[in-house]
Amino acid sequence: MTAFQDLPPPPDYDEARDRAQRERLMAVWHTPTGWRKFSAVNNEIVGRWYALTAFGFFVFAGILALMIRTQLAVPDNDFLSMELYNQVFTMHGTVMMFLFAVPIFEAVAIMVLPEILGARDLPFPRLSAFGFWCFLIGGVFVCGSILFGAAPAGGWFMYTPLSSDPEQTGIGTDIWLLGLSFIEVASIAAAVELIVGVLKSRPPGMRLNLMPLYCWYVLVVGGMILFAFPPLIAGDLLLEMERAFDWAFFDTERGGDPLLWQHLFWIFGHPEVYIIFLPSVALVATILPTFARRPMVGYSWIVLSAVGIAFLSFGLWVHHMFTTGLPNISLSFFSAASEAVALPTGIQIFCFLATLLMGRSVGSVPMLFTGGALAIFVFGGLTGVMVALVPFDWQAHDSYFVVAHLHYTLIGGMLFPLMAGIWYWYPFATDKTMSERLGRWSFWMMFAGFNIAFLPMHWTGVMGMPRRIWTYAADTGWGPINMVSTVGAFLFAAGFAVFAWDVLRPKRNQPPTRRNPWDAGTMEWAKEVPDKPWGCRSIPLITTRYPLWEQEDIVGQIDRGEWFLPDAQEGKREMIVTDILDGRPIFVQRVSGPTYKTLLAAMFLGACFILATFKLWLAAVLCGAGFTATILWWLWTATARIPEKEEKDCGRGLRLPVYMSGNASVGWWAMFITMVGDMTAFFGLVFAYFFFWTVHPEFPPEGTRSPAFSWLTLGMVLLVAAWVLVAGARRWNGQAKTGRARAALALAGLPALSGLGALAQACLVSGLDPTRHAFDATCWVLVLWLGAHLLAGFVMLGYCVARSWAGILTPRYDADLRNSALYWDFMLATSLLVYALLALFPLLSEGGVA
Amino acid sequence: MRYPRLIDDRSIWIMVAPSVIWAAHFLLCYWIAAIWCAKEAADGSAPLQPVTWTVAGVTLVALGLIWALARHAWGRYGGSLFITRTIADDRAQERKHFLGHVALLLCALHTLAVIFTALPVLVFDRCW
Repeated sequence: MTAFQDLPPPPDYDEARDRAQRERLMAVWHTPTGWRKFSAVNNEIVGRWYALTAFGFFVFAGILALMIRTQLAVPDNDFLSMELYNQVFTMHGTVMMFLFAVPIFEAVAIMVLPEILGARDLPFPRLSAFGFWCFLIGGVFVCGSILFGAAPAGGWFMYTPLSSDPEQTGIGTDIWLLGLSFIEVASIAAAVELIVGVLKSRPPGMRLNLMPLYCWYVLVVGGMILFAFPPLIAGDLLLEMERAFDWAFFDTERGGDPLLWQHLFWIFGHPEVYIIFLPSVALVATILPTFARRPMVGYSWIVLSAVGIAFLSFGLWVHHMFTTGLPNISLSFFSAASEAVALPTGIQIFCFLATLLMGRSVGSVPMLFTGGALAIFVFGGLTGVMVALVPFDWQAHDSYFVVAHLHYTLIGGMLFPLMAGIWYWYPFATDKTMSERLGRWSFWMMFAGFNIAFLPMHWTGVMGMPRRIWTYAADTGWGPINMVSTVGAFLFAAGFAVFAWDVLRPKRNQPPTRRNPWDAGTMEWAKEVPDKPWGCRSIPLITTRYPLWEQEDIVGQIDRGEWFLPDAQEGKREMIVTDILDGRPIFVQRVSGPTYKTLLAAMFLGACFILATFKLWLAAVLCGAGFTATILWWLWTATARIPEKEEKDCGRGLRLPVYMSGNASVGWWAMFITMVGDMTAFFGLVFAYFFFWTVHPEFPPEGTRSPAFSWLTLGMVLLVAAWVLVAGARRWNGQAKTGRARAALALAGLPALSGLGALAQACLVSGLDPTRHAFDATCWVLVLWLGAHLLAGFVMLGYCVARSWAGILTPRYDADLRNSALYWDFMLATSLLVYALLALFPLLSEGGVA
Repeated sequence: MRYPRLIDDRSIWIMVAPSVIWAAHFLLCYWIAAIWCAKEAADGSAPLQPVTWTVAGVTLVALGLIWALARHAWGRYGGSLFITRTIADDRAQERKHFLGHVALLLCALHTLAVIFTALPVLVFDRCW
C-alpha cells in the first residue's frame, strides 16, 4: 500500500502560474556565465567538467601507451631511454587507474545520478565541485612531472624497498604518494556524496525494490571506495614517513618489512578493479533494457551479484602476491575466494544475455559497444580464473600473460561499456546526437585493434616475456608478435580518435534531438529539450522501476508542475530528502549554490600537498591553515543555516520541515560515512602493527620498552573525559542549558590535548625512536594519527562554541553540534583502540607492565 | 534512546549480514593459518592439524549463522529463494519480500563461498 493514497489531485493547469514558477526556478538554478562559470556547482556542469578532464588524462595515458608499444615494436629498440621508459609505463598505469578509471565513475555518476533519481541535485553540490578541483589540480601535478623527467618510475604499484629508498627513486615517488593521496581525498568525497545521494535523495515513493539498477551499483561502489581507498592512504602515510623522515616501516634491517606495503596496496588494489568494473556494468544494466525494449531480467539477481562482488572482491588481494613466499595454505584461501567471485560476476552476464534473448533488441552503436564489452570481458574473466590458480600463476606471474589478462578485463569490463554509455547519454548531456556512421567505424576499429594488440600478448607472456621490460634481444623470437601488438595498439588508438572527434566536433547546425530519443524507461530522459538547469521541473511520485514506460503521462505531469516542489518561492535551491527503505519524504534540504570557496579550498589543499612533496614544510603548513580557514568560512556561510520558517508546502498537500539534525539529516550521514572510511584507514595502521607482530619472533623486540603504561592510562582517562564533555554538551544543548553546553565544549579541548600529550610522553619516556625500529615507528604513527584527528576535533569544538555564541547553533537547530559529537564518538573508538594496542596488547605478549 | 533491532524487517542490514559473516570467516581462517605458520611452524614442518580443526569449527559456526540469517529472511521478511514474478509492486510488504529474497540469495552465495574458503584445509597437512 502506498503512503500517498490520499494525495489531493493537482491544481488545474494555469499557463501564467507555470511560467512564473519556471521563471523563479530558473532564477534560483541559473548557471553562472563567462568566467563566473568556474564557480558553478550544479551536478550537470561539474559532472561534464569531471568527465572531460578524466578523458583528457585518458588521452595522455593513451599516448604513453603508444610510446610503450613503439619502444617494444622491434628488438633492441632505443626509441625511449630506459629511465624514461620506466617513467612512461609507471605513469601509464597510474594515470589510467587513478586519473581515469575511478574519476570517470564519479564523473558519470555526478552527472546522471540525480536525474536518474528524479532529484534536483545531489545533497552536497559544493563537495562535488571541491572534489573535481582537487582531482584537476592533483592530476595536472602528477602528469606534469613527466615533462620535467621527474615522474615516478617504480611501477604503478610502487613496490618497496625500491620506492622506500630515496637514493634509488627520486622525487617522482613523493609526487606519486602525495599527489595520489590528494586525489584519493576527492574520490572519498565523491563516494560520500553518492552514497548519501542514493540513500537519502531518492524521489518520494522509490522503494528499494524500485530503485534503478544503476543506483544499486553506485551505492555498492561508493561503499567499496570507502573501504578500499583508506588502506592505501594509510600505506602512503607509512611510505612517505619513511622517505621523508626515515621512519622504519619497510627496511628489513630495522625490523620493517617490504611485504607490508604489498598487503596495504593490494587491499586497495584488488577491490579497485571491481570499483572500476561495477560502474561500467551499471551502465550496461541501464542501457540494455532500453535497447532490448523490456525490463531487466533477474533484477534481484543483479542486486545479489553487486552486493556479493562488493564483499568477495576484498578477499582477493593476496592473489597478486602468490609468488612472495607466503605459506601455501594462505595462498589457497585467496585462490578459493578468487574462484568464488566468478560466481556473482557470471550471474550478471547471464542476466544480460537473458534480457537480450527475451527482448526485441534494436541494433545501435551502444549495443555494439555493449556486445563487444561482454565478449572481451568474458575472455578476460576466463584468463582471470586461470591466473587465480596458484600453480598457473607461478608460471604466468609478471609476464605479458598478466598484461593481456588485465587489459581484457579492464577494457572489456570498463572502457567499452563506458563508450556505450557516452554514446547513450550524449543527447542527455548536450541535446545533440553522435554520428551512427562514425560510431560504427570507431567501434570496429577499437574492437579489432584491441584484439590485435592484446590477444598476442598471451603468447608473448607464455613465451617468457616479462612485463615492464624495456627492450629484448632479437633471438628471443618475441619481435614479430610484438610488432603485431603495436600495429593493433595504433589501430585501437585511431578508433578512439574517431570517437573523440565525434564527441568534440561542432554540432551547431544539427537540430536538437527529440526528447527521450531512445524511448528509455528511466527518469533521466524526462528532462526537457532544450535542457533546463533545475533537473526535474517537479519531483514526481515513483511507483515503478521504469517510470517512463510504466507510469502514464508522467512526463506531462512533471512538466506541468503537478508534482512536488514545482516552485522556488523562497529563492532557494531545494530538494526532498527521503527515507532509506521506502522513499518517504522526511524534509526539504536547502542546497548551496555557486561559489569560488570550493576552488579556493582545493587550491590551498593542493598547494599544501605539492609543497610537502618538495619538503617546504613551513609553506605547506601555512597552506594547510589556509585550507582549514577556507573550509570553516565555507561551512559557516552555507551550512545548517536557521531557516526563515519551520515548514514549507511542497505541493499536493505535502508539508515538510526545512531543517533536520542528527541522523535524519544528510550532514550527519555524510559525517558517519566519512568517519567509517577514516576508521578503515586507521585499521590499516592497526593491521601494520599486527603484521609486524606476526613476522617478528618478539614484538616489541628485545631491548625495547613498550610505551609507558601509566602515561598511556592517564592519557586514556583524559581522552575519555574529553568525550564525556562533548557528549554532555550535546545533551545539555538539547535541554536548552546553553551556558553549560558552551562551557563543556570550550573545556573539552583541554583534556583532549593533554591526553594526547600524555600518549606522546608515554612513547618518549620509553625512549621510542621511530627511526630505530618498526615497533617504535608503529607506536609513534598510531599516536600521530590520533593526534591529527584530535586537533581536527578541537577545531570542531571551537566552531560549535562560536556558532552557539553567534546564535546559529541553538537547542532546536543543533546540526553542527550533533555532527561534531558523532565525530567525537569515533575519536573515542580510535583512542580506545590505540590504548588497547599500545598498553594492553604488550601485556599479553610480554606478560608484564612496562 | 532505544536502538532498533539491527536485523529487523524495517532494516536493510540483512542485505549486508551474510556477506559480513563470509568476510569474518575468511579473515579468521587467513589469520589463524598465517599466525600458526609464522609463530608455531616457522620452518614449515609442523603439522597443520590444529589449524584444520579450528578452521572446521569456525566454518561450522559461520554456516550456522548464515543458516540462521536465511531463516530470518524467510520467516520475518517473507523472502523466498526462487520467485516466479517480479517483485516490483509499490507496497511496503513488497519491499520487505524483496529484501528477504535478495538476502536469501546472498545466504546461498555465501554458503558456497564459505565452503570454498574452508576446502584448502582438507588438502594441506603442512604450511608449505
